[in-house]
Amino acid sequence: MAVDESGQAFTHPLYNVMAQLPGVSLGLTTADQLLTWGASNSLFVFPMATSCCGIEFMAAACGRFDLDQMGTIARGTPRQCDVMVIAGTITVKMAPRVKKLWDQMPEPKWAIAMGSCAISGDFYRDIYSVVPGVDTFMPVDVYVPGCPPNPDQLFAGMRRLQEKIRMRRNGEWTEPELRPETFGFKSPNLPRIGDPRREASLDEAQLDAVINLDPGGGLRRPDPKGSL
Amino acid sequence: MTVPDDVTRLLAERFGLESGDPITVSRDRVVELGGALKEAGFTYLVYVACAHYPATDAEPDRTVAEYRVRRLPVDEVAFRVWVPTGESTPTLVPVFAGCDWQEREQFDLVGTIFAGHPDLRRIMLPEDWEGHPLRRDYDIATRHHPWR
Repeated sequence: MAVDESGQAFTHPLYNVMAQLPGVSLGLTTADQLLTWGASNSLFVFPMATSCCGIEFMAAACGRFDLDQMGTIARGTPRQCDVMVIAGTITVKMAPRVKKLWDQMPEPKWAIAMGSCAISGDFYRDIYSVVPGVDTFMPVDVYVPGCPPNPDQLFAGMRRLQEKIRMRRNGEWTEPELRPETFGFKSPNLPRIGDPRREASLDEAQLDAVINLDPGGGLRRPDPKGSL
Repeated sequence: MTVPDDVTRLLAERFGLESGDPITVSRDRVVELGGALKEAGFTYLVYVACAHYPATDAEPDRTVAEYRVRRLPVDEVAFRVWVPTGESTPTLVPVFAGCDWQEREQFDLVGTIFAGHPDLRRIMLPEDWEGHPLRRDYDIATRHHPWR
């Protein structure tokens, strides 16, 4: 394991390979920046295009707007992709398929929910067969609102994703994306684990909630004194 | 759309049915009517559509299946058959092969049962879905875990 001058440990497997080479350990901090630069500028996109937002995605990928100028290439298989762009309404039958494709993508991977349907279901939300937002079954990094969004808005979303990647590689905390307001929708808005705004009392409350579920296995709160 | 004269004569002479748009036919003669229309040149199946009618004072709970066929370029004839809920209507797949997926879709969404269909499975909704969502008595608030 390699350690830089500030004592921060690098755990990326590539560092361990590079550290064996003579003279390379001096350049590890620079290598981190190199990886960040490379990851954020070669985002291969998997277009999960199911409806009209897919047309706008195609427009963004074509010559007039040219998504390739950001280093993004649309690939037809999830195994070669970094970003999944969900462009369109996802139905209850489609959702397990989307989840399976998402699971097939190699880490690190990101997801963009493009358009109102992917964000919340929009006006198809109450229909029996429509999933009310893809973030009900998979993580979403960037929301691109619109019905459908312009290619410009998709570009803004990709820029935002590049910012997030650079901030995360630099160890900075990235604010969670705000899901656009939808009529009648209430989101839990709890600070997740790792968020500096998360308080210890929230951990306690969640632990209590789990214990009170009483799943039947004699679940007890761990003794703070450490006795078995 | 007006029914062509030869179809009106065919209906009156062979089936004793009244002409109209659509023609209403009983369940035991729908396959025969479809075959006769195909022989008369109506070889193109436009659609199969079904709808659910809840029970009233006069009629039981039932669905209607409507077939529309075309003789190129312009002539069109539609015929419909009423199916009480819990009973079935004979399939028209042996006559019009294009009925296959159309009748599967109507069975999936409305719940009309086509007897003798070669492969009467769900086609639009997930395989483990319960109920037929385009029926009038389907609860729109039905939950489908874990997606909603």
